[in-house]
Amino acid sequence: MKKIRSLLVGLMIATAALVSPLPARAADVLNQIGAQIEQFQVVRAEFVQTKQMAALKRPLVTSGHLTFSRQHGVLWQIEKPYRVSYVLGETKIVEIGGSGGDSVRRVRETRDVPGLAQVGRVFRAMLGANSDALREYFDVAAQGTPAQWSIALTPRQSQLARFLSGMELSGGRFVEEIRISEAGGDDTRIRLSNSQGAAALNDAEATLFGTENDGSGR
Amino acid sequence: MNGMRLRALLWLTLAVVLAIAAAVQFAGPLPLQSNLLALLPPTERNPVAEHAVSRLAEAAGDRAIFLIGRPKADTLELGKAARDFGAQLRASEVFRSVVDEIPPFDPQQLARFYFPYRFNLLGDGDRAASSDLVERLQRKLYTPFQFGPGYPLADDPFGFGDAWLAGLPLKTLRLETQDGLLVARSGGNVWAMVSAVLPGSAYDGSIQTRVAAAVAGAEARLKQDFPGLEVLRTGTVFYAGAARQSAEREVDFIGAGSLLGMLLLLYLVFRSLRPLGLGLLSVGFGVAAAATVTVAVHGELHLITLVFGASLIGEAIDYAVQYFAAHLGAGNGWEPMAGLRRIAPGLLTALATSLLSYAALMLAPFPALSQIALFALVGLSAACASVFLLLPWLLKAPGKRDPEAAVALPRRFLVGWKKHVGRRACLTAAAALLALSAPGWSRLASNDDVRILISRPPALVAQEEKIRELTGFGNSSQFFLVEGKTPEEVLHNEERLLEKLAPLAGDDDKSVLSGYLGVSMFVPSANRQAHNRQRWERSVFADERRLRELLSDASLRDELAERMIEDFANSNSRVLSVDDWFQSPLSTPFRHLWLGKVAGNGAGQFAAIVQPQGIRDVGRLAELSGALDGVTFVDKAGSVSRLFQEYRQWGIVWLLGALVLIYGVLCLRYGPAQAAFMLLPTALALAVVLGAFGYMATPLTLFNLMGFMLVVGVGVNYAIFLREGGVNAAATLAGVLLSAGTTLLSFGLLAFSSMPALSSFGLTLLLGICVAVLLAPMVLSFAPEASR
Repeated sequence: MKKIRSLLVGLMIATAALVSPLPARAADVLNQIGAQIEQFQVVRAEFVQTKQMAALKRPLVTSGHLTFSRQHGVLWQIEKPYRVSYVLGETKIVEIGGSGGDSVRRVRETRDVPGLAQVGRVFRAMLGANSDALREYFDVAAQGTPAQWSIALTPRQSQLARFLSGMELSGGRFVEEIRISEAGGDDTRIRLSNSQGAAALNDAEATLFGTENDGSGR
Repeated sequence: MNGMRLRALLWLTLAVVLAIAAAVQFAGPLPLQSNLLALLPPTERNPVAEHAVSRLAEAAGDRAIFLIGRPKADTLELGKAARDFGAQLRASEVFRSVVDEIPPFDPQQLARFYFPYRFNLLGDGDRAASSDLVERLQRKLYTPFQFGPGYPLADDPFGFGDAWLAGLPLKTLRLETQDGLLVARSGGNVWAMVSAVLPGSAYDGSIQTRVAAAVAGAEARLKQDFPGLEVLRTGTVFYAGAARQSAEREVDFIGAGSLLGMLLLLYLVFRSLRPLGLGLLSVGFGVAAAATVTVAVHGELHLITLVFGASLIGEAIDYAVQYFAAHLGAGNGWEPMAGLRRIAPGLLTALATSLLSYAALMLAPFPALSQIALFALVGLSAACASVFLLLPWLLKAPGKRDPEAAVALPRRFLVGWKKHVGRRACLTAAAALLALSAPGWSRLASNDDVRILISRPPALVAQEEKIRELTGFGNSSQFFLVEGKTPEEVLHNEERLLEKLAPLAGDDDKSVLSGYLGVSMFVPSANRQAHNRQRWERSVFADERRLRELLSDASLRDELAERMIEDFANSNSRVLSVDDWFQSPLSTPFRHLWLGKVAGNGAGQFAAIVQPQGIRDVGRLAELSGALDGVTFVDKAGSVSRLFQEYRQWGIVWLLGALVLIYGVLCLRYGPAQAAFMLLPTALALAVVLGAFGYMATPLTLFNLMGFMLVVGVGVNYAIFLREGGVNAAATLAGVLLSAGTTLLSFGLLAFSSMPALSSFGLTLLLGICVAVLLAPMVLSFAPEASR
């Protein structure tokens, strides 16, 4: 639960930030996203995620590709240490691959999982740059210049605060780093690089999202 | 003269006794029952099932649910509105409790609850097949998110615990928490839920009134403070309140309407206020006695009985009307006791046939019918007794009106009838009517749906449907009852049922149901827990060296493997029980599923409920339960419909039986051939009405049959009165027409009742009595010359 929330929220903030190039004034970061969100339908980036966990002797490192589509959601493709992809849609989350190969699929309806729909809503609030909706969940503090900015998010609801102590994201033209601090002490850092905007999904991505949308996943 | 005074004194004594009894009985609030299902006998053979039905109805019935929202509502404003609304309801002090804010649901609480028992638990998938531990560990490590509530890596490296938690049926409702509110969403719209628990039964009139006032107040306040917000509501209390209101309105309307019409008719015929007063007195005495005795016997008066009672006025006044007719016809020669003696045989025969009909109705093991029958028996007897005891003393003076002038019109009709309508014409007419009606009979259909009992205001139904759609609440009266000698046996039987249900469940149209809910989904049987533990043992702990290597290779700290092995060994004797689960607050929404120890003669002493959701094929579910031990499929609505059907069929037999009985009584007085002619108008009325229903495509319900029962009683009365009219035939005809007029007024109004049951009852009477009274003069054509 901890992981899902903090990571999803991180992810959504990251992706929203990805589509928000060059905030003119740091205080208006969220509004800037709203104003310029139309600019890219799709953003792609590479990620390296480093997780510090109490149970592990050394940090866990994962890397891969991230694709965000305004229309369809997020594609989170892990390439190392092993291949597995996650399609995060509005109503479903599909896991593809793992050691069983690309034919293995696991589908979860967001409404079947307590809290998941809520996280998804924050997610869509970010996509729509609905700063009011985002402020329902977080206190938002932004600072810096368009070339170098950072946003700190502090959970407003005790429910969220119970496992999430805070999040921070920073970047320039695109978001570059996300830090998620969990209340239990675990810490996740996601670095994004080679971010690129695009007008549409490529065929492979569309297929992944498409299979997510047709509802025959189970 | 003395005899008359004695009779009047006797009546007065009876009236005083009645008044005292009534005063004692109705001192408190009127014990008026508005729960329509209370009219029905137990439908289930298994008493535990009946208990479960009422338990479920209670769980749902003492609650009122409100959804507050509007398109594109701002959630912060909505939160404030919902809390204000809740505060208003709370301030009214009407409700036992009001819930607008809920403690945040902490999924980790669930994880913590199951943690001590984790080696006894496995998700369905993990029970069915073993899986590769390496892959499981990898998934746990690298999944960027966990699906739903789960355990930290250190506590559940292979994700078995996560899988168990994910299999729990937590998301059966479409509600979620936000900012401490329960909210439902559809499209872009948000609705906040407020629920309230009633202080008592939803069928209690005073609770209905207070709830309605409190809700109206809170709603008005909300609309004032937050213009544009909409409030949806649902709850048995609103339906029952509406039903009571409309029934009370109808009692007023039908009662007042029939009374007014009746008085007007009486005045027109007798041109005197005295018959009005006396008629009212005898009817009032009858109805008061009926209500008092019914409450004394049944402990309460049902709405339907009351409405029926309001229309019974029409039949109860017939006896007094006959007496007045005799008075009118006698003119100056009126002598009260002689007059009474002359009409006595007719009155008594009429009363006997009516009582016979209703007594047979009372035998029905159906509280609704027997209550109505008792009400009618007592009411009619008392009204008739009033005529015998009181009227002679109060109506001593001969009428001032010239009898010839008063009955000129009926007399002209009678003369005309005798001249032009012979036996042959009557028989021809009868044959023609039968021929006309017969094609209608073949088109007759029937309807036994339980909903004919209940009128549901469309506005409330629309709100309920919307709430159901938004929240996913169902109020199905269909469920599985699972029984066993011990709680363990119940769980075991339930698990076998769920194994059968699982493949039938799904969201597509081909599935039999969309889901199900049962206690064993949260607490596996001890037997299953032991099997789960064996599987844990085999797949994880059989080779401890390998387990250590596995965890170490994945760079987990070494002490984790040691702790796991130790925890497993220490948890050997731990078994999760139903009681453990119920001690956790997390079980609150599911407690109604466990009936616990029950007094039953069924399969065992313990019972639980499995609630199917989104049923698409009831038949398959019923089939399923047949093959399983200790499992019964209970379908209350279905049972009630079957019951209605049974009684409808039973009613047809009763109707034929009643006709035979009445024929017997008539034979005693008129001989077999004449008795048959006496019955002819009533029998024709039944035939014509049945044909008419066929032509109108109005399906027959149990309540039409009840209508037929009255038609038989009243129709035979008319024939008897006319036949007994003798020298006063014209006055008697006036009386019969008057009776029919009043009866039609009262029952005709019943046809406009909002309760489908009562309106079909009323319609039957309206048609039936019209035909019966129009054909009644036939008996004059068949009567032997001597008695004309």
